[in-house]
Amino acid sequence: MKFFNLLMKELKELINAQMIAGLVLTMLIFMVMGNVMSNSMDELTKEEYTVTIDDRDNTELTAQIMDYLRESGAEIEECDTEGDDYGSILKERGSENLVIIPEGFTETVESGQKAQLITVSRLKSASALSNLSSDTSLAVNSISSGISHFIAEKYNLSEEEISVMNNPIVLNENTVVGEKSANISPDSIISKVMTQNMVMPIIVFVLIMMVSQMIISAIANEKIDKTLETLLSTPVSRTAIIGAKMLGAAIVALLNAIFYMVGFSSFMSDMTNTGAEAAAGNVVAGQLSMTTQSAMLRLGISLGITDYILIGVQLFLTILICLAVSIMLGALVNDTKSSQTVMMPLMILAMIPYLISMLSDINSLPLALRIILYAIPFTHTFSAMPNLMFGNTAVFFGGLAYQTVVFLICMYFAQRLFKSDKILTMSLNFGQKSKMKKAKTVE
Amino acid sequence: MDKVLEVRNLSKQYTKVLAVNKISFEIYEGEIFALIGPNGAGKTTTIRMISTLLTPTDGDAVVAGHSIKTEPQKVRECITYLPDEAGAYKNMTGTGYLKFMAGLFTENPKQIEEYVERAKDINQLGDRLNDKIGSYSRGMIRKLLLSRAVMTNPKLAILDEPTSGLDVLNAIEIRKTIKKLAHEKKMSFLLSSHNMLEIEFVSDRVGIIAKGNLMVTGTTEELKQRYNAENLEEVFERVVNENEIL
Repeated sequence: MKFFNLLMKELKELINAQMIAGLVLTMLIFMVMGNVMSNSMDELTKEEYTVTIDDRDNTELTAQIMDYLRESGAEIEECDTEGDDYGSILKERGSENLVIIPEGFTETVESGQKAQLITVSRLKSASALSNLSSDTSLAVNSISSGISHFIAEKYNLSEEEISVMNNPIVLNENTVVGEKSANISPDSIISKVMTQNMVMPIIVFVLIMMVSQMIISAIANEKIDKTLETLLSTPVSRTAIIGAKMLGAAIVALLNAIFYMVGFSSFMSDMTNTGAEAAAGNVVAGQLSMTTQSAMLRLGISLGITDYILIGVQLFLTILICLAVSIMLGALVNDTKSSQTVMMPLMILAMIPYLISMLSDINSLPLALRIILYAIPFTHTFSAMPNLMFGNTAVFFGGLAYQTVVFLICMYFAQRLFKSDKILTMSLNFGQKSKMKKAKTVE
Repeated sequence: MDKVLEVRNLSKQYTKVLAVNKISFEIYEGEIFALIGPNGAGKTTTIRMISTLLTPTDGDAVVAGHSIKTEPQKVRECITYLPDEAGAYKNMTGTGYLKFMAGLFTENPKQIEEYVERAKDINQLGDRLNDKIGSYSRGMIRKLLLSRAVMTNPKLAILDEPTSGLDVLNAIEIRKTIKKLAHEKKMSFLLSSHNMLEIEFVSDRVGIIAKGNLMVTGTTEELKQRYNAENLEEVFERVVNENEIL
């Protein structure tokens, strides 16, 4: 009952209208962003292709190529330019791209040699989406295809023969995981798994930061307002006080995790669904190979409900460790400024596995580095998904056991801290006297 | 009269500072005892030890028969503590805060209601108790906290600088409340203050503390006579001069 009273107080302190509004807004932003990006991509890819062409060769063949381009759906803007000052040419014409068919192009093609085509694209930024309008690859492909058509006619070859000449090999790609295999390219699986695994580290990192901030601020505020002294002088066990504080923060953290998970998953699925399956499907001997999802199922690297529950347990353990450490760090805080400072160790410990797991597979690193990384308890949660996917269950369950031990040790020290004088007397000062210490500590 | 608190040779040594040096005194039922002294004299450390927040390095204190060293949980059932310049949970309403605090002393819902009603009678904040504490003035918060400290009828209420930072009218009101509760409800109080004139008005007995040493204890009148002084400030001055401790 007293514990429940304390827990309700913690929840009331942590869950307020602003916090709920923030959560809903975060989820909505993810969803709207995903939707907008997906629609924009669709619009951009569907948009009629516009290309500026300067036919400096001006022959029957180049005229045919132009017709071929128009037939293939491209919007052609013909122009007449001179010289190779392409920056000035684009600026004068207000164009984003330019394809120049140089003089002598037809002659070179007819002589059976490779002809040169000049393409100019304006690079506006490093973003792929913003440079779609200056892309000339579709025009180049169409021109290339038109010339192939011309050669086919000239040498009386069928389209199929031309196709075989261009691509004499058809790949039948298979991927093996453990002893299971599936008819799909490893690239497709890697791209899908990477997309899925991107979500988890972001969620874990955001949660670690949020939970630490939440509990450190809660303890700091209680210390500064002296409500902690009042609480500690009441007939309630210290374990109940610390337990209620941790459970309250853990409930709020999990609530956040759910909102982030739903929002971010929706964002990622909107982003990756556009053409993802088309990219994933490989043409094998004239037929589409299996989808990535079904291939992952066959390879046994698709996560089931049990896997997600295990990941949830590990995520919860990470939150608990974070809370126990934050309680101890919070005890060092005497003002809002130092609450930012004490977060540093946790931030560094979370940042290292976060960045490494985003860039590489932790299990593929050298043994010494792996041991150092796995000594950080958060690393196990960052690598939980790939470990379960690829059957590294020993590493996963070892991590779970290690995290439990770390949590119990942290809890033991946090509880001892709450039972000792140090909760009120210790503080972190970088050469400055804090507001509280100035007021008194040794009065 | 029964002893509610008996302090015996209580000491507290921080790493570099001896904050409290073997002090002894006692408080009887219905008595208001004040520890007076300048900032840094050891008042808060003494109070925190008796409130079971700090562990003494030597000596002991017995509250209603329970040792602060061996039975801190029992001691907490008999006392309430109001820290100096304490705040309250700003997101809670006044009533919500009183209910929450009452719930830490009893699990009986009827008892909780009784405590809250008693606090409401004492603080006289009326409808403002339905507002969030964040909107309260300093004086209102202090009244709320004082009512919280006494609503459970503790055997010993420990109040650290109960009127610090308050204007004259609010301070007078709080002093009157403390006196009334001690004399009518037989509640015992341990106060600390560096405002000696205030203590002269409110306390039955005082203890003068300086540099961790309890120099002298007695009623205000006794001390004034003994040191031939007009008020407690003069008593304090003479005590510290005699002992050459400042």
